[in-house]
Amino acid sequence: MKDELFTMMGEMPAMSPELLARMREEANRNLLRMKHWSEMVMNPKEPKIGATPRQEIYRTNKSRLWRYESRRTIRTPLLFVPNLGISRPYIFDLMPKGSFVEHMTALGFDFYLVDWGVFGEEDNGLSVEHAVSKILPRLARKALESSGASEMSVLGYCMGAPLSACFVTTHPEFPLKNYIDMAGPIDFAHVGLFGKWLAPGVFDVDKYVDTLGSIPAEMVKMGFKLLKPTMDLSTNLNLWWNLWNPDYVAGFNALNKWANEYLPFPGEFFRQWVRDFYQQNKLIKGELVMGGHRVDLREIRCPVLAVGAKEDNIAPPACVKPLMDVVSTADKEYVELPGGHISLIAGRGASVHCWPKVASWLAARS
Amino acid sequence: MADNPSQQLLDMWKRQVEEGTQAWLRMMGQGQAPASAMDPQAFWRPFMDQGMAAWSKVMTQGTTPSPDLMAQWKQFLDQWIAAWSRVLEQAMGTDAFAQLMGKQLEGFLNVSGPVKKAAEQQIEVGLAGLGVPSRAQVTALARHVAQVEEKIDALEDKVDRVLRRLGDAGSPRTERA
Repeated sequence: MKDELFTMMGEMPAMSPELLARMREEANRNLLRMKHWSEMVMNPKEPKIGATPRQEIYRTNKSRLWRYESRRTIRTPLLFVPNLGISRPYIFDLMPKGSFVEHMTALGFDFYLVDWGVFGEEDNGLSVEHAVSKILPRLARKALESSGASEMSVLGYCMGAPLSACFVTTHPEFPLKNYIDMAGPIDFAHVGLFGKWLAPGVFDVDKYVDTLGSIPAEMVKMGFKLLKPTMDLSTNLNLWWNLWNPDYVAGFNALNKWANEYLPFPGEFFRQWVRDFYQQNKLIKGELVMGGHRVDLREIRCPVLAVGAKEDNIAPPACVKPLMDVVSTADKEYVELPGGHISLIAGRGASVHCWPKVASWLAARS
Repeated sequence: MADNPSQQLLDMWKRQVEEGTQAWLRMMGQGQAPASAMDPQAFWRPFMDQGMAAWSKVMTQGTTPSPDLMAQWKQFLDQWIAAWSRVLEQAMGTDAFAQLMGKQLEGFLNVSGPVKKAAEQQIEVGLAGLGVPSRAQVTALARHVAQVEEKIDALEDKVDRVLRRLGDAGSPRTERA
């Protein structure tokens, strides 16, 4: 019947062979679109996520330390510190051939990932200070012990950057080799829409936490969706457009699963995060105190790389770059790469721009 | 040009969109006058032109369809979404929007706080009557477990430190001494 249709089309006047071939291709794509759409609706497959082999090194409360398999040819191990709450960390190892972890381990990095875990109501008393002065130092020490190395590089992504910066500056005994801030806000005066919405006088964080206890995942989701209200529309439009392509569909399924799994914030963590970082901008001012020690970013004396994403609306480049002005090292570099907050580290663009840059910078210093 | 009924239709549509844009511009200009920041015409113009070109092609090509139109239509939708995204981003970036959102949230907390508290109390009473542990009790138990784990971790840290010191004390320098 398909051939019959094309025969009929071929008989129409002013139909060049090239046009006919393109129409045939488009018709085929439409058939594939229908096929993949019906599969997604009728028989949805669970995407294969987090495929890089790994081993649990340590666990404390909900948090875990993972070590990924690799040839470990690069001497200095890397500790990856992501955000606490908001989303799950498997975005960094989303799918085969589309994973930052896979990329780094294939190059021989000894890769450790901090998985903060999913905190429940019983963890509402957990603060930023506790995460920075209790959990993170312990996980970092376990990573160092397990690697057998004498030094370690730390990479903070998103909120993981300010958290890890607080840790490394208040723990001078930690043998920090290199520090990378990937899309992590440092100067919260330039943090974009979230900064406006969470400003003092606008957002009463105490009332919020005192009423709700923790910040439910649905609230977190609402905040992020509001940041880019047209995101779902453009995502679905792009899905329809690329629905004929099985690779795109597989990637979409994995990313979509991740993008819809929001995590709650422990109450006290959210209170301190919003008050000290967003509302009072204490990190860049050097006014934060964690575990009895002042957080002074000038204490970062090792080589530093900061990576901003041009279209990042969660941590705009303007709030990432100021790290360059405060660290005490001559070996520092700031790069601004194409993409948004997520596409900086996950997806096709990341594999072209961000991963090679981070890997080469780090390999040269490891 | 206007003799063509398709072109007339296109012109009419174009006029309507332009008038709509002007109305939107006037509406946004009222009150706080962020005229330099808000310019919907600047957002809409590129994708409107793109749409015009696409529709012109559809209208003038007559019966010969082309798959390129699909790509143009997709591009048109992309630009339309991007334009709306910029408009919304600017609107949401205003102090007025932040204040409004803050008030909405406060209103929500004012209502949900007492409701949540009352519901929790009712459930607690009901569960106590059934002899079933309440959510608060289970949470408290989980908190205790976490605290015990924290203490064990702290002890482990202390033991590690002592072992390291012992290791340092038994280092070659000490043996030589």
